[in-house]
Amino acid sequence: MNRQVSHAVLAAVAILVLVLIGVQAVDPVLYAAKNISTAAHADPATIQKRSPGDAASLVPLMDELLGETGTLALTIKLQDYESAERDLARYNELSRRFDRLVVTLDVSGTDIGEFQQNNRQNQDALAALLNDTRRFDALQRLEIEVRGDDEQHMTVIYEGEALRQKMRETFSAYARREAATVRIAEHYEINATPYQESVDHFAEVADAANGWQEEINGGGTGTGGTGSGGTVQSPLVIAVTPVEGSYGDVLLIGGIHAAGKSGAPVEIYVDSRLAATVALDDDRTYVHSYRVGRILAGPHLAYATAGTIYSNVAAFEVLPKNTSITLSLAEVNGTAVACTGNLTADDGRPVTRAPVLIRVDGETLVGAETDGNGTYRADILLPAGEHALRAEFHAAGYPLNASESPTETVILRGEGLSPFPFAAAIAAAAGTGWYLRRRRSEESTPAAEPEAAPSPEVARPTPQVSIAGLPPREAATVLFCTLRARLGLPETKTPRDCARIAPAYAGFFERYERIRYAGETPSEEELTDMERIALGGDADRA
Amino acid sequence: MTQIEREAWAILLILLLAAAVAYAHVTTTTEEYSRYNTDWNGTSALPAEEIRDLRNLDTAATLLILAPDRPFTAEEVGYLQTFLDAGGRVIVADEEGTANSLLADLGSTMRVRPQNLASLERDRADPGLFTVSVVGNTSLFAGVGTVRVNRPAAVTGGEPLLETAILTWEDGDGDGRISGDEVFGTAVICAAEGNLTVLGDESLFINAMLAENPQFIENIQPIRVDSIHSRTGTANPIINTRLWIQETPPAAAAAAALAILPVAWHFGRKRDD
Repeated sequence: MNRQVSHAVLAAVAILVLVLIGVQAVDPVLYAAKNISTAAHADPATIQKRSPGDAASLVPLMDELLGETGTLALTIKLQDYESAERDLARYNELSRRFDRLVVTLDVSGTDIGEFQQNNRQNQDALAALLNDTRRFDALQRLEIEVRGDDEQHMTVIYEGEALRQKMRETFSAYARREAATVRIAEHYEINATPYQESVDHFAEVADAANGWQEEINGGGTGTGGTGSGGTVQSPLVIAVTPVEGSYGDVLLIGGIHAAGKSGAPVEIYVDSRLAATVALDDDRTYVHSYRVGRILAGPHLAYATAGTIYSNVAAFEVLPKNTSITLSLAEVNGTAVACTGNLTADDGRPVTRAPVLIRVDGETLVGAETDGNGTYRADILLPAGEHALRAEFHAAGYPLNASESPTETVILRGEGLSPFPFAAAIAAAAGTGWYLRRRRSEESTPAAEPEAAPSPEVARPTPQVSIAGLPPREAATVLFCTLRARLGLPETKTPRDCARIAPAYAGFFERYERIRYAGETPSEEELTDMERIALGGDADRA
Repeated sequence: MTQIEREAWAILLILLLAAAVAYAHVTTTTEEYSRYNTDWNGTSALPAEEIRDLRNLDTAATLLILAPDRPFTAEEVGYLQTFLDAGGRVIVADEEGTANSLLADLGSTMRVRPQNLASLERDRADPGLFTVSVVGNTSLFAGVGTVRVNRPAAVTGGEPLLETAILTWEDGDGDGRISGDEVFGTAVICAAEGNLTVLGDESLFINAMLAENPQFIENIQPIRVDSIHSRTGTANPIINTRLWIQETPPAAAAAAALAILPVAWHFGRKRDD
């Protein structure tokens, strides 16, 4: 076979192989071993590494949370409010860390998730206890100051009664969670003693409020409105109807202000947070439609204020509801997938403005939020290959149970081969070719020089030069440069080079070489001859 | 050298290469735990010596019964008991429960309880590939704080030596996450009674896992693997034939003669020419 043909065939085969490998190079299957696991074990070298996720800190964090409840309740009981603020801030920070960890580790469906729910409620309860205790403390001082002023005194008593009722209700709910929390703590071998002590401290604070209120009502001032041993009856009354509701339901919170005037503002508080301000009607009643939204499931308290008058405390219960979440995947392009779905309660109501997490390949979490219709959307960039995605609703702060969608799978093709490397390679090849070609032509120039020895016919026009007044050696140099330029020789050429390239002028160049390098000084006659030759009057060349 | 000679040498070279590849192919296997499996799930890289007779075991070495799948006779159980009584150390690595009858015959209360354990205490995506803590005081795990296990089973009875973190669960539905009725809890992976140790993870000895727990492997040296009952002895007919030749002197002599005779005949004929 002809050698050139065989080389061409080899080159073609090599290119074919490279093309085949190149096509496969973008396919991750190429790099995946087929036999990487059996029922008994998996090949660790082929299993994707992941961040440990701080799993080891989960149980210690639960321990810290329970410990913090004990510290916080104690400082509240001791009325060390500055320390209590610090403890509460730390407790909140620990709770946030714990919440994040529960979601990251995907354990919200376990008893740790139950612990998390209880902890959230404990967090709210202890924050309320701190505020209520501080206010109660102030009321106790105020009550002494306003003795003798019946109107002011009654105001203090009404507020004190409202606080007392609120603290009792909050404590009841706090104590109800004790059994479940202790059970979970024991399962994880966590010391629940500080938490149990916090329940005792809470009880003491609530009992102290009871005691003070009983003391006041017992006739200490003689201005109470309920008689001995009873509770005061505020002229501002509140009630919640119905007393139970779930997400999306509307509860009517209203009542009557016997001492109020039509149009007077009434502020309605739910769990110590202002829920609405309404005006008294002509019949001195007020009402507010309270929609159950982002509020924890369980017992809650409502009370109202009209100026300095506090109402009694009304309790209502928010019942948990199941939810369902859907997930649909659509490939946007080779590297992105659009995730859409709906989050609804079990009665079909959309869950609005709620956070949704999309778990990618069991690890990465991407956040989204539902709109006013309970619909969410997230575009996620993913590497090429198969991916498993699942939407999760963790119901943090909602009276709803967590839910998750079925796992959906998407296969992304990935981006095609980028044209930039190819364009760069072609440009580099073209540039290299251009450079080599130019270099070759430059290298070939000296070889062509002897052939290109200028003849008088093709010599360039005679330049205008004057050597008058110049020293002889400098004048010779000027004449050499003039002749060299006239013959079109590069400035880099020495007199010897010039003599070789243009042998017809060898006499001139050799004479100049002696002047230049041997230090000879040309005579006037020699300069005249050289000038004649340099300027083209060279019929008799030296 | 003539062109014909060059071609002959080239063909010979190709034949030798092909023979070497064929030899490597037929003398290895893909059987799990096999000493002749050089892949990730074999035990070819385990620094251990195979033994095929349980009599007169050396008490200075650790006897490893790895993934046993053949029953022990009463006589063999007696040899093991004698070995244990003499101070020898036996490690039974099993995760399917096939070693339970042997354990019962040895009078041990330890049992292997096959489970699909998963844990959050891991740095790999596979929930069955996780770390466990050393909880017992034994030379087996001297200098070892944690051991990476690979889809292990639980061990009941005995003194616990390796225990999982609390965030471990039996992944009954195999979905890799804790769900449904699954609950977190610890599990014992390795326990001991005297010199008898039961390890609920036979995968610790496969090629791919040796680098994960090097100190543990070092601690149990020297190792003798029982190749009669363990799956390490799993081979193929060609390997068995090779082993039989190696272990049977007349067969080895016959094989050597078969190799030498053609050469001798070749040179003898040349001299005659």
